[in-house]
Amino acid sequence: MGAANGVKYAYIVARVRAMKGKLIPKEMYPKFLNMDIPEITRFIGESEYKKDVDELGKKYKGTDLFEHALNQNLALTYRKLIEVSQSEANFLITEYLRSFDIWNIKTILRGKFSGASEEEILEDVVSAGELRYRDLTEIVKVGTIEGVIAAFEKTPYYPALVGYKGVLADVENELDKMFYSNLIKAASQAENKLFLKFLRTEIDLKNIKILFRMKRAGMERENTVKMLIPGGMELKESDLGRLASLSFSEFVRALEEYSYWKAISDISSDLTSLIHIETRLDKYGLVYASKISYYYPLSILPVLDYILSKKIEVDNLRIIVRGKETKLPEEIIKSHLVM
Amino acid sequence: MVADAGMIAIGAGIAVGLAGIGAGMGEQAIGAAAVGAMAEDEKFFGKGLLMTVIPESIAIFGLVVALILLFVFNA
Repeated sequence: MGAANGVKYAYIVARVRAMKGKLIPKEMYPKFLNMDIPEITRFIGESEYKKDVDELGKKYKGTDLFEHALNQNLALTYRKLIEVSQSEANFLITEYLRSFDIWNIKTILRGKFSGASEEEILEDVVSAGELRYRDLTEIVKVGTIEGVIAAFEKTPYYPALVGYKGVLADVENELDKMFYSNLIKAASQAENKLFLKFLRTEIDLKNIKILFRMKRAGMERENTVKMLIPGGMELKESDLGRLASLSFSEFVRALEEYSYWKAISDISSDLTSLIHIETRLDKYGLVYASKISYYYPLSILPVLDYILSKKIEVDNLRIIVRGKETKLPEEIIKSHLVM
Repeated sequence: MVADAGMIAIGAGIAVGLAGIGAGMGEQAIGAAAVGAMAEDEKFFGKGLLMTVIPESIAIFGLVVALILLFVFNA
């Protein structure tokens, strides 16, 4: 890490470290579980989300207000990161946050596919990427999936969407692959090895999740391989092909060879719940991001660590409130939280 | 004798100049970080200011060396 690089990242890193200090501490989540929804909303309304809750309070009520406030805050926070960063950091953050464009496109397509209302679709839209909320609101108004795809014609995501033949999973898979391959290209272009390392670990974790889901659903090797994203750190293409052809128990045994095994080793005797596995893998990703951000303090990693931590905070809050709304037992809500 | 005094003055100048450049290089990252932290939370003002001026000690060392050159060796 050269001195010049350190100077380049000093401002944004100090800023995100200060922002991370304002995130809800993990000790608060068990307390939230003992609170009612109005109490949680009041707490959130007095925290960093105050502005968003006040602003949207006139338009929405209850859990809808909560959902919209969290999404708006997430989008504004990420947009702020783009605005306050410069040069390489700005480029990499912008590229990384395109994941929200992918998320929004998937949300709109899924919404249209399942016949959800415009309001329901917009509830899950997070305009933290290149596509603005205003534009997305317009696209949501389009009635058909084909119309929605045509509306994205001028975006870089169109090549992945154009192959839609009635199966959403194929398009979603193409979008994911395109996102990660573009991101790897961006990291190589910026010659940022740390970003690449973070990214490739994220791909590995995503692939493991896909493999677990596919194995659980009993999918064929060919279909599984098609879904996997190339470019991982430990799980190279040959590893992915091998893992895809194994049975569930063999796959679990084969995973022991990889460092990601320690994320799920404590529940290795009972891998029946996908939720438990995915929560643990998410936690592994979070801890990994935090750890390497301390190894390389003046780099893009603390920013990525913050992006991940903020996303998980919003997800956790959403899980708690939605869980409480549907009166789920505390234990089940807790098992979904990434802490 | 005049030439010696001139060389001492040049030495003193270099000492202060290089120490100042060094301090500036040290301060640029700390200053940027301090401003970043302060932009998020004003409470960092005191700590930020303190951290930013720490490399100033290098400039003071340069100044001390220059003063020694001028007043001790020139005497």
